[in-house]
Amino acid sequence: MYLELARRNLQRAKVRSLLAVIGILIGVMAVSAIGIFGESLKATVLENFEDVANELIVGPNYYAGYRYVDEKDVNQIEKLPYVKSAIPVKSDTLLVESKKLKAYLQIYGLSEKDAEELFDAEKGVIRLKGSCVVGKNLADTGDIKVNSKITINGREFRVAGILEDTGARFDINPNTAVIISQDDFSKISDKGYTMVIVKADRLDHVDNVKKAIEERLNSREDKVYVFELSIILERINEAFAQINTFLMAIASISLLVAGVSILNIMLMSTIERTKEIGVMRAIGAYRVTILKIFLLEAVILGIIGSSIGSVLSLAGGYAIDYIILQNVKYVFQPGTLFYLILGFSVGLTTAVVSGLYPAWRASRLEPIEALRFE
Amino acid sequence: MRVVELVDVSKIYKTEFYEVKALENVNLEIEEGDFAVIMGPSGSGKSTLLNLIGCLDKPTSGKVLINGIETINLSDKELTELRRDTIGFIFQTYNLIPTLSALENVELPMIFKGISKYERERRAKKLLGIVGLEREMDRKPNELSGGQQQRVAIARALANDPKILLCDEPTGNLDTKSGEQVMDIIKEQNEERGVTVILVTHDPTLAKYGNFIIRLRDGKIEGIEGG
Ligand SMILES: Nc1ncnc2c1ncn2[C@@H]1O[C@H](COP(=O)(O)OP(=O)(O)OP(=O)(O)O)[C@@H](O)[C@H]1O
Ligand SMILES: [Mg+2]
Repeated sequence: MYLELARRNLQRAKVRSLLAVIGILIGVMAVSAIGIFGESLKATVLENFEDVANELIVGPNYYAGYRYVDEKDVNQIEKLPYVKSAIPVKSDTLLVESKKLKAYLQIYGLSEKDAEELFDAEKGVIRLKGSCVVGKNLADTGDIKVNSKITINGREFRVAGILEDTGARFDINPNTAVIISQDDFSKISDKGYTMVIVKADRLDHVDNVKKAIEERLNSREDKVYVFELSIILERINEAFAQINTFLMAIASISLLVAGVSILNIMLMSTIERTKEIGVMRAIGAYRVTILKIFLLEAVILGIIGSSIGSVLSLAGGYAIDYIILQNVKYVFQPGTLFYLILGFSVGLTTAVVSGLYPAWRASRLEPIEALRFE
Repeated sequence: MRVVELVDVSKIYKTEFYEVKALENVNLEIEEGDFAVIMGPSGSGKSTLLNLIGCLDKPTSGKVLINGIETINLSDKELTELRRDTIGFIFQTYNLIPTLSALENVELPMIFKGISKYERERRAKKLLGIVGLEREMDRKPNELSGGQQQRVAIARALANDPKILLCDEPTGNLDTKSGEQVMDIIKEQNEERGVTVILVTHDPTLAKYGNFIIRLRDGKIEGIEGG
C-alpha cells in the first residue's frame, strides 16, 4: 500500500520523476559502460599472454653458488604431479656472423621436439640437426633467409626456419633468438641448463607445481628459484583494475549530479506535501512511516533509473568496444555482469542516499506546523 | 468517564517580535458521550484549544489529560498512537490525501494501525455506507463535491473507532444543506455510538447540536452553557 502511495505520488509529478530517472539512468550507464569497456580492454590485452600463463621458469640460484640446473633435477621436475612438460634450456651469449651481421646474441640450445612445442616457423621448418632457426626480427635486420648460412662462435649453421612472431613471451624472446640443438650447443659452448621452462597442466595448478618444485629441489639448500608467469598476469590485472576504478570514478560524477537532482526533486516534493504530511501524522502515521513513504519514492526512482541504465549500458559498452577495440566479443563475458550489477547498485544507492535527507526532514515535521502549512 | 481534562492550560505563541497568549489558564472537563460546542470570535483560541486536546500541539503550561492519561510526558510514538486509536479529526478543509480514492482515504488510519487488507476494506466500505458514499468509493477527492469530501473525512475519522471526534469548523466551507448532512452524521455518531464530540465553530446555528457550549474570548473561557 505504501508502495502504491509512493508510485502515485511519483506519477503526480510525471515530468519531475522522469527527469530524476533520466539522471540516474545516464549516471548508471556511464559507470557500467565504462566498466564493461575496461574489462574488454583487459581481456584483449590478456589474450596475448594466455599461452604463457601456465608457465613457470626454474633457474639456478646464483646467490647460493649454482650456475646451472642439473640434469637430475630436470628429471625430477618432469615427474612431479600436474607438470605437463619440463623443457630444459641451455643459453649463452655468442658471436653470430652473417654477410650483413656481426653481433653477440643469445643462443639457445633446445631439443628439436621442445623447440617445436614452443615455437612455430613462419618460413621453412624447425629442424635442428646441424641447422638452426632464427627469430623474425633478427632475420629482417640481418637479411637472413631460409637456407642462408650463419656462423655461431666460428661454427657454420644452415638456417632451416624463421620463427613466427608470437607476441610477448618471458622465457625466450622468439624475435631475436637463435636456436640450435643441444648437441650442437655443447660443441660451441660449455654452459649447462640455464633455465627450465615448466608447464602446468592447468592454470590453477601453477601454485601447486611451484610448491612441489621448491619442496623437492630446495629441501636442503635453495638450489633453484621458481618464477611464475602468472604473476605477470596478476600485475596486468591489477593495473587494469586501477585504471578501471579511475575511469569509473570519473563516470560516477554524472551519478553525483543525478543524486543532487533527486535531492532537489524530493525536497520540492516534501515541501509541496507538507500539509499532507501533517494530515497523515494527525491521523496516526509514525515518523518512520513518513520516512518510509518518502524513501520508497527515492527507491522506486532508483530502481527504475538503474535497471534501464544497466540495460542501456550493455548497448553503450557494445558501442564503445566496437568503436575503440573494433571487437565486441568481450562485451558478453562474465565480468560484464559484474559491472551491470555494480552500476545498478551504485545508482540505487545514489537515489536512496539523496532521498534520505528529504525523507528525514519530512519525518521531523511537527504535525501542527505541517498542518498549518498552506 | 472523563475523556478530556484540561488543567490550567496556557498556550503562548512566541515569535521574534511579539508574544500571543492564545490560551490563558483554561480549565475544562468533558465526559464520555458529551457533545461540546466551542464558540467564540475569530482569534479567540478555539483551534489552539482543539489542537491541544488532539495532541497535535503541546501547552506552554498546564496539563492535558486524555482518557485519564497525562499527555505531557508521552513520547512522539505514544502520542501518535493516541491520535490514531482514540481521536478522530475532521478539518474545515477536509484534508483528504489527493492521490488516494475515497475508500483508500478511509483505509489509511487502519493501514497505519496495521489492520489486514480484508478487514480494513470491509470496514471502510461500511463507514462509507454510513456517510452515504458507497457508490463514490473509487473516486479521488478532486472528483467529489465539498460536502462529499467532508463526509469521506468523517468516515476516515471514524476508521479506528475513536472515542473522541474533534471537528474544527466542519461546515465552514459547506453550503447549508451539505452542512446539515455533515452535522447529522456527526450527531448520529454521538447519540448512537456514544462518541464524544468536540466541535469548534463560530456559526451560532450549530449550537443546537451540542449538549453544552463553551464560549471563548481572548484565550479565556467566558462561560459554559448547558451540560
Ligand atoms: N502558529 C502561531 N504563531 C503565532 N500566533 C498564532 C499561531 N497560531 C495561532 N496564533 C494566534 O493565536 C490566537 C488564537 O488563534 P486560533 O487559531 O486558536 O484562533 P481561532 O479561534 O481558531 O480563530 P478562527 O476562528 O479564525 O479560526 C490568534 O491571535 C492567532 O493569531
Ligand atoms: Mg480556527
